[in-house]
Amino acid sequence: MALTQAKEEELRESLKRCPERTIEAAIQFCESKDPDLVPTIVMGIIERFVEPEVRPVLREENDQTRLLEDLGIDSLLMVEIVILVEETLDIQIENDELRNLRTLGDIKNYLDAKIKGLPLPTNRNVLTFEELAAVMPHQAPFLFLHEARINGTEAEGSYRISGDEPFLEGHFKDNPVFPASLMLEALGQLAVLLMLKSESSAFGGDVDPSTIFFVSCDGVRCHKMCKPEDVLQMKVTLKKIHAPLAQFEGVILSHGAKVAKAEEISLTFGLANGEETSETA
Amino acid sequence: MRNVVVTGIGLVTCLGNDKTEVSGRLRNLQHGFVEYPPFLEDRNIPIRVAAPIPGFETNTTDSEDWTYPGEIRFRLEQLRGLSPNALYAHFALTRAVSDAGLSREDISGPGTGLYTASSGSAALTHHNLARMKKVGPMRCSPLGIVASIAGTLNFNLAAAYAIKGSTCGFVSACASSGHAMGFAYDEIALQRQDRMIVVGAEDFTLETIVPFSGMRVLSVNPDPDSASRPFDRNRDGFVGTGGAVALVLESEELARERGAPIYARYAGWGQATDGYHVAASHPDGEGLARAMELALASTGWNPGEVDYVNAHATSTQAGDISECRALKSVFEEGASPAVSSTKALTGHALSLSSIMEASFCLLGMSDGFMPGSAHITELDPEAEGLNILRETRPEAPRRLLSNSSGFGGVNVVLAFEKP
Repeated sequence: MALTQAKEEELRESLKRCPERTIEAAIQFCESKDPDLVPTIVMGIIERFVEPEVRPVLREENDQTRLLEDLGIDSLLMVEIVILVEETLDIQIENDELRNLRTLGDIKNYLDAKIKGLPLPTNRNVLTFEELAAVMPHQAPFLFLHEARINGTEAEGSYRISGDEPFLEGHFKDNPVFPASLMLEALGQLAVLLMLKSESSAFGGDVDPSTIFFVSCDGVRCHKMCKPEDVLQMKVTLKKIHAPLAQFEGVILSHGAKVAKAEEISLTFGLANGEETSETA
Repeated sequence: MRNVVVTGIGLVTCLGNDKTEVSGRLRNLQHGFVEYPPFLEDRNIPIRVAAPIPGFETNTTDSEDWTYPGEIRFRLEQLRGLSPNALYAHFALTRAVSDAGLSREDISGPGTGLYTASSGSAALTHHNLARMKKVGPMRCSPLGIVASIAGTLNFNLAAAYAIKGSTCGFVSACASSGHAMGFAYDEIALQRQDRMIVVGAEDFTLETIVPFSGMRVLSVNPDPDSASRPFDRNRDGFVGTGGAVALVLESEELARERGAPIYARYAGWGQATDGYHVAASHPDGEGLARAMELALASTGWNPGEVDYVNAHATSTQAGDISECRALKSVFEEGASPAVSSTKALTGHALSLSSIMEASFCLLGMSDGFMPGSAHITELDPEAEGLNILRETRPEAPRRLLSNSSGFGGVNVVLAFEKP
């Protein structure tokens, strides 16, 4: 459907501070409704609203970039962005859907589903620190997750190094560095969470938290030191299951840069209610 | 009761943004009027003259298109919550605070409060409501309310400067910033606060000024050199302006202890209401006369001790007559203090007027002059018997009153004396 002159002018006026490629994509989208144009449109709208200092972060197009912490988008600015996205894409975004959007990746996935008319991704599986503490066998001061979420056979989690961790006093003297061994521990904990909370049938039933233990870890590389105030952004993916072993891959980012990677973390587990573990993947 | 002094002045006015410049223009009677292009473009608008604010351009509802001096940088989410008057006020406040020798940290504590006066933003209210009716409330700026309503000034400033003491906005039309000043005086005198920042501000936009045309109170005189002429027999209404002025008030003890510059002792104030009409002033200026008497009573001065009165006189026929009669009832025949209206140079700044004129009085007091009442070619017979200054008098007033009146017949009078 070709745009009328008036409609195109209206669109150009409301997008006037967005990059030119965004405006062109928006005009094309009105005619073609091509979902592939949406990322260009949305990233350009976000760019128009964020402070110039964080625009380079935005241009990295990292799906894990967080709206509030990394881009400074507070709830009111978010509403401004939503209004312009709604107007440009001619869609309606509900308040409760909005609450699930925390990263650039969330926005892309959400809009992609919305435009294609697919079921919307939800954040039902986001766990707060309190919820984590209720689920995990690990507890403070040895729980290295502040927030986490599960998506099928993947889990994402974050831990903010407060600087008050007692071990930082001695690691190292007058130079607090978060230990690499604990980075692996944190990834392992996220894998534990994935086993306990995944709705996937991969584990063959409900995993009993008291049966999970560490077995081995291969292909570990650390790239960057982390210090107080840094946030570890972790992701683990289930690779395969040879019951009673489960193997995961894990990676940690901080400020968008790779901090550590573990190619294979193996954990042993058992099922609740005495069910037999069996090979399923 | 504690003594109150004024230690800082911050100006965003049609006469300039700098104390020295504004003081010079007041002394030399150089007005701030121009033929204002947005009025000329619309043939339905019967007026031509206004007093814009140098360095600021806010005649659009898109805050990202405003121009203003580079000394303050606003984040986008901050800009989206600003009205034009709150924008000017940021500059007035920071200038006043630095003029008083204070830092941002100094004003962010339980001992410092903030009283403000503006009528909100007519332009943004209209823009946001028109958008709401067109596209629905869910597609309107979430900060539209904060930017638009009366209160925008105190919301924005209290948040931006982390004010922790008492904060309040005052709405009494053209006496608003007088009320803010008066109650700020009380806060310090009654030991509730040690320091008060008072800010008056008003949008300089077509939407704030032109509606007064419908009341037939704006001058249709197209000549910027004579459109505003309080006390002149042939005056035909007021000329609009806007801007912002901030004053820092402190207890005298605190100011002396920290060696602050002291412009004046703020000696007291008075207010009274006409109880007469929704818009017009009482024909004999009864309420204004009582407000002056109450201000004198609060200072303990005799009428004969007052050297200068900065009149509210806006250049409307009825208003100036009321004020002449009020002055004549308070000051005995032959004992009139010097009287002038600086609105002959600035026009009427509505909610901002009272504090703006108070700041002009303080500049005159510290720089040694009483500004003349400009543009009078033929004195109104009602003003005979009053000592209306036709020229600037190069002499500092020792004691002075500054008058303000507003819709509903409210009247506020502020009293200052040399420290």
